[in-house]
Amino acid sequence: MTNPFSASKLHPAVWWMVGFSFAILAGSSGNLIVLGAILLACVFVILSCRETAPWSQSLRFYLILGALVVSLRLVFRIVFNLESGGSEPWLRLPKLGLNLGVLGEFQFFGAVDKASILAALTDGLRLAAIILSVGMANTLANPRKLLKSTPGALFEVATAISVAINLAPQLIESLQRVRKARMLRGRSDGLRALSGIVIPVLEDTIDRSMSLAASMDARGFGRTADQSALRTTWLRAISLVSVCCFAIGCYLMLATKPDLLSLGVVAIGLVCLVWAVKANSAKHLRTRYRPQPLCPADYVGLLLSALVTTAALLGWGV
Amino acid sequence: MITFSDFSFQYSKTDSPVLRRLNLNYSPGEFSLICGPTGSGKSTFLKTINGLAPHFTGGTARGRILLAGQDVSGSLPHQLAELVGYVNQQPEGSFVADTVEDELAYGLEQLGIAPAKMHEAIVAIADSLGLADLLTKPLGYLSGGQQQRVAIGAAIAAGQRILVLDEPTSALDSEAAEELLRLLTQLAHESRITVLIAEHRIERLIGLVDSVTMVHPDGSVTKSEPAKAFNDYRMVPPLVELAQRLDWKPLPLDIEAAESFWNSSRVATNPRIPFRRDLTSTVLQVSDLGVNFGGESALHPSSFSVAECEVLAIVGKNGSGKSSLLWAIQGSGMRTSGKSLINGVDPAQLAAADRFEQVCLVPQNAADLLFLNSLAEELEESDRFAKVSAATTAGLFARLAGRLDPIRHPRDLSAGQQLALVLALQLVKGARVLLLDEPTRGLDYEAKRQLATQIATLKSSGKAVLVATHDLEFVSLVADSVLELVEGRVISHLPVAEALASGTALATQISSLVRQPGVISINDVLGVDHA
Repeated sequence: MTNPFSASKLHPAVWWMVGFSFAILAGSSGNLIVLGAILLACVFVILSCRETAPWSQSLRFYLILGALVVSLRLVFRIVFNLESGGSEPWLRLPKLGLNLGVLGEFQFFGAVDKASILAALTDGLRLAAIILSVGMANTLANPRKLLKSTPGALFEVATAISVAINLAPQLIESLQRVRKARMLRGRSDGLRALSGIVIPVLEDTIDRSMSLAASMDARGFGRTADQSALRTTWLRAISLVSVCCFAIGCYLMLATKPDLLSLGVVAIGLVCLVWAVKANSAKHLRTRYRPQPLCPADYVGLLLSALVTTAALLGWGV
Repeated sequence: MITFSDFSFQYSKTDSPVLRRLNLNYSPGEFSLICGPTGSGKSTFLKTINGLAPHFTGGTARGRILLAGQDVSGSLPHQLAELVGYVNQQPEGSFVADTVEDELAYGLEQLGIAPAKMHEAIVAIADSLGLADLLTKPLGYLSGGQQQRVAIGAAIAAGQRILVLDEPTSALDSEAAEELLRLLTQLAHESRITVLIAEHRIERLIGLVDSVTMVHPDGSVTKSEPAKAFNDYRMVPPLVELAQRLDWKPLPLDIEAAESFWNSSRVATNPRIPFRRDLTSTVLQVSDLGVNFGGESALHPSSFSVAECEVLAIVGKNGSGKSSLLWAIQGSGMRTSGKSLINGVDPAQLAAADRFEQVCLVPQNAADLLFLNSLAEELEESDRFAKVSAATTAGLFARLAGRLDPIRHPRDLSAGQQLALVLALQLVKGARVLLLDEPTRGLDYEAKRQLATQIATLKSSGKAVLVATHDLEFVSLVADSVLELVEGRVISHLPVAEALASGTALATQISSLVRQPGVISINDVLGVDHA
């Protein structure tokens, strides 16, 4: 029962690009139809491409989170009602005034007009669409495969993430084992049980992490080639500056309308960043076994994400 | 290949070095067994070879270590990764990747092997370790033995000439362990890899290795031929113990060698009286007890009974349903059918606290039950919880393990002492039925003998004891009857002397040597009182 659209057909990095581009489009859009389309697209893609790995089972979680965000927005809008009084009311609720003395008078409920409900719904759906876009990338990209294609300079960070992924199911397993063991001593579950559970579980987890670290070290993890101190310092400085450029550019782009200045700063930041990562990777001697090359489907994915991002930047989604 | 010269190692905050002035030399292709009592520094000795000690364990090293003629004193583990492969007790804890292939590739990637050569190396190592069909399998789906083979493959895939293993078989059943040790022998003798292995179950290895390295409690380390190494060493398998006691020289290492000594000696044996269950004093009645996990049957419905003062050993391979059976009897484990009655009451019907008064189970990982910071706290908390008079638990513990410093941390106790502590904590309410899941895992012969004495003490106080284990020599020391499980089915339930008799699949070393009914352990030969 192989799925012709299974997520592993695409490079995990491409999934993340697609996810981010959807998120950017959602973030810049105020159009209910566009937002609804993004949400539906994410759910459809996750359902048709997901695999059986543990990280692929989280769609329900993202859906619940999205629904929560939308309903919170709506509830807040209705409860903390700021009557605009413009258009005709859509929903009439009894007013509830509350005088808070110095803070002035607050008013809850009351007549809610259609426009404000719509605005709240749009806000909520926008957040939900961003959550689902990122969720889609997270659900469909195999983190270990992503690790394999991370550049050497980021390898330590990526390894830490991969180890954390490994550790999570082990933690759950030792938690279950220790809870069962407590029951054997006639103890019941409850808050007071916490100390009795935390110590053995932590001990177990630390032991396992240490033995994993020892095994990785014994197999050569962390080998580096010699590099001059001057070069290392320069590379660090450039990395720092490029990250700052990128961050400031992104801020400008989001805070104002995307213009030439902000786009330029982002571009300079990105180029420097890529160069710095490449240069930093040279000090690692690591090779890669069967890295996943980009295939035609990946290029289609990249093209799609580029189109979506451009559309978002040009304001088509508004 | 490996040379220690004037090498010493000391942990910080200790008075004396754990390894003292070592001068040793291992040649290429040498297969050496590392022996020594628990806590003597076997693990430390192995870790010094690739620098894990002191870099991971702390402490200071003095003197020199040479690997393949190269002085590597003070090197970091990752700098020695292409020379030394290291494998520890629990393979699943050392895995980095998802699949067998990626795990084998990991070390090669770190060492910067060219991608074209990597594939060749992986195929070659997979072939020699019998992993060729498993390359694309996820690591989690493999059996313990297969996982340990992957760990070994990953350690030597880059052509490492030295392989160091710290008790690699402790979680495996006999069959998987034998298979693994056979592979290691091949690696040493055919691929000329120097293999150093620490192992408690000496009988599995004694006939295979070229030398025995003894780590003594005073920190000295000696290396000798297998036949000479054990002349006056206490922690030996029953066959060697018998040879020591009867003063056979040179020590026979396998049954064939021992047979000529045995045939020419005229030792009067002391066969044990066949065990008869006292049908009037049944404590535990198991009827039609079955367990299914996810639609698959872990235990087919089984029925048997255990009387007071009886020790029943449950034997079988890993995955044959031993643990499922114990947990189902205890009542908190999964059950699909049947019941277990202790004096007419099924513990599954009771609340956890009441169940605790009827039956106690010591799980494989006994330390899971310990959660306080000192021995005294654990013992006192137990008295309070059980609402018994002060020092009841402490008294029980003293009967099992003697007196120990009460400020010691429970997790710093030896595996045997921890087991005694857990037994005392579990038995404080006077449970009649005691269930032990693989209690001998990681214990040396001395600790096993102590555990056997503890079980005998409990048995004489009227308990019914069930021990799940694959350690048949231990079974011959403690059990009255044996229940054998194969793939979740009870295939036999016999008195111990019949179950372990010569010619059966479960024969002990002594029964294979002596071949007399009722003689299965060294006590039956040398006439220790069976009362």
